[in-house]
Amino acid sequence: MPFNVSLAVEAKNLVKQFGNIRALNDLSFSIKQGEIFGLIGPNGAGKTTSLRIVTTLILPTSGSMKVFGLDAVTQAAEVRKILSYLPEEAGAYRNLSGQEYLEFMAKFSGNNSSEAIREAAEISGLGNRLKDRAKTYSKGMKRRLLVARALMTKPKLAVLDEPASGLDVLHAYHVRQIIKRYVMSEGVTVLLSSHNMLEVEYLCDRIALVNKGNIVVEGKPSELKSRYNSANLEEVFAKVIGYA
Amino acid sequence: MLRGFRNILLKELKELVRDPKILIGIIIVPVIIFPVIGAILGYAQETAIEEALDANLLILDNDGGNWSALLISYLDLNATITVLEDVTPQQAVNQGLPAEYNCTQFIEIPYGFSNNMTVNLSGNPTITAAVNAFDEFTVGGIFSSVDSAGVTSRIYSFNRIVAPDALSMTQSVIIEGEIQQNVNPAMLSAVLLTQSIALPITIMILLTYSMQIAATSVAMEKEEKTLETLLTLPVDRFAVLMGKLSSAAIVSGIGALAYMIGYSYMLSSMTIGMNLEPGIDLAALGLVPSPLGYTLLGISLFVTLLAGLALAVIMSAFAEDVRGATALVGYVYPLIFIPSLVIMYLDINTLPTALKAVLFAIPFSQPVIASKAVIIGDYLTIVLGIIYVTAFTLAVMYVASRLFATEKILTAKIRFKGRGSKKAQEDIA
Repeated sequence: MPFNVSLAVEAKNLVKQFGNIRALNDLSFSIKQGEIFGLIGPNGAGKTTSLRIVTTLILPTSGSMKVFGLDAVTQAAEVRKILSYLPEEAGAYRNLSGQEYLEFMAKFSGNNSSEAIREAAEISGLGNRLKDRAKTYSKGMKRRLLVARALMTKPKLAVLDEPASGLDVLHAYHVRQIIKRYVMSEGVTVLLSSHNMLEVEYLCDRIALVNKGNIVVEGKPSELKSRYNSANLEEVFAKVIGYA
Repeated sequence: MLRGFRNILLKELKELVRDPKILIGIIIVPVIIFPVIGAILGYAQETAIEEALDANLLILDNDGGNWSALLISYLDLNATITVLEDVTPQQAVNQGLPAEYNCTQFIEIPYGFSNNMTVNLSGNPTITAAVNAFDEFTVGGIFSSVDSAGVTSRIYSFNRIVAPDALSMTQSVIIEGEIQQNVNPAMLSAVLLTQSIALPITIMILLTYSMQIAATSVAMEKEEKTLETLLTLPVDRFAVLMGKLSSAAIVSGIGALAYMIGYSYMLSSMTIGMNLEPGIDLAALGLVPSPLGYTLLGISLFVTLLAGLALAVIMSAFAEDVRGATALVGYVYPLIFIPSLVIMYLDINTLPTALKAVLFAIPFSQPVIASKAVIIGDYLTIVLGIIYVTAFTLAVMYVASRLFATEKILTAKIRFKGRGSKKAQEDIA
């Protein structure tokens, strides 16, 4: 079946088996170009596994994953050129300064690395602290550095796992603003995973609720709230999985 | 008692004892290693003593007098002897007679021996009779001087019991078919003993230290959560592996160079010291490695380090954190320590063929074997070792590159009795 050119990501019938555990069970979703798409669900639902397949870190047991028409299994090297991944518990190299870390990462992009670093310095808001070693950073500072790293090269697809994890209210707000701005100005497509329903509702054009390795419901946040007659996405989620 | 100390101590002990990696690495491995060392030492001593007792003694009787006959009959009581007449020591060496008669030493009773004995015992103590002893030089184990000690004690025993103070003995060593006059084999063994212990110990330290560094490189990426990001960058996975190996190799290369400089300095110090009495000059004896020898030894050490580093990187991929990685790499240490100890204490040529094959098959043995071979200029053994270790390293690097090319670099874990396996899988999902 030909790939729909307007799609940034197309996951079809993904299955991932880890030993006896089936992490993904026939999971399918698609993301349009320039869209912010959120995967939400409880721990162990299969969100991170999905993100790892999109980012070519792991292979699906069966099913297919396409990123801008490229197969994430057979064309992994090409896929890596157009995406950027921010893992949930990512860290920075302790003995490199923030500036050195950004320089190291920017050199892989092949684009104008000095421009990318300037961009990252602005996104992170770390100022002179970029000259300090990453081991001296607080959790929030480190996360801002990593978000900046993920966006500085203006990837076609940014895969963000809990982008505002560990950030205080103001910095979380700052990061969300940047993500929104990048989508608007640079046409970046975003696939994110989050437990923060406020964040999901604010950022995402569409969301998919994942439970036990499968997508149980998908749609725009406002549509889902209306469909399930709920005040917020938390309630929607609880109703969908039969908790409420 | 410090407040809370007992509680913290109990918690720490539980954490440590319940970690199978720690338990095996810290407790069980040493429990195995020390008995093995004991067995090696016991075997080495036993072999050396048996060889000394079973040793044949070749006697070149160029005197043919009464006293030489008496000395020969005395020695005949204590050893299996073969007597040849009218053969000079150099002829014996040239014709390979020691090997033919299965002995590593021989003595010459020179012409005039009986006459001198008679003169001495007739009341002229200024004239003594000399026996010349010759020992084949081998880079054996630390008990290799037992043989020559046996002969020496027999001669002195004759001197004490039969003809007090009438007999003297000169000692020489045969190195590479050349007789080196007036070199005491026991003294030479003592000098070489220092390096036959110092070298393997230094190699062991260098190998284990380098492997620790390499093991932490991947484990640190996992522990600091930087590996996932790194693997999604548009960079060849093999480049990631090579970057890690190369940096560790550079550090190890500097280590190997420092090691060679230190080793060279150690040998030259000894040579200088031995130029004084009693007059052993290792350089003059051809027992200081040539520049080619040093280079080959350095290469042998370097390729072995690379093999160790590649192995450490693979093993660390199976660990979740730095502590796990260092514990896993600890399992390789017996493969470094045991062969080194065996080669240090035993003459590898005297070992059973199967054991010898096992020792040669362990790549970490090669620099220790090379350190002995270089002393006697046996470069072929070193070159073959280098070729073997290089092939091993390439094989290990191929496995490492396959590991880096797949998701196993993220998901592979060594599991102990199933503990934590379910948790690990849940973490992945």
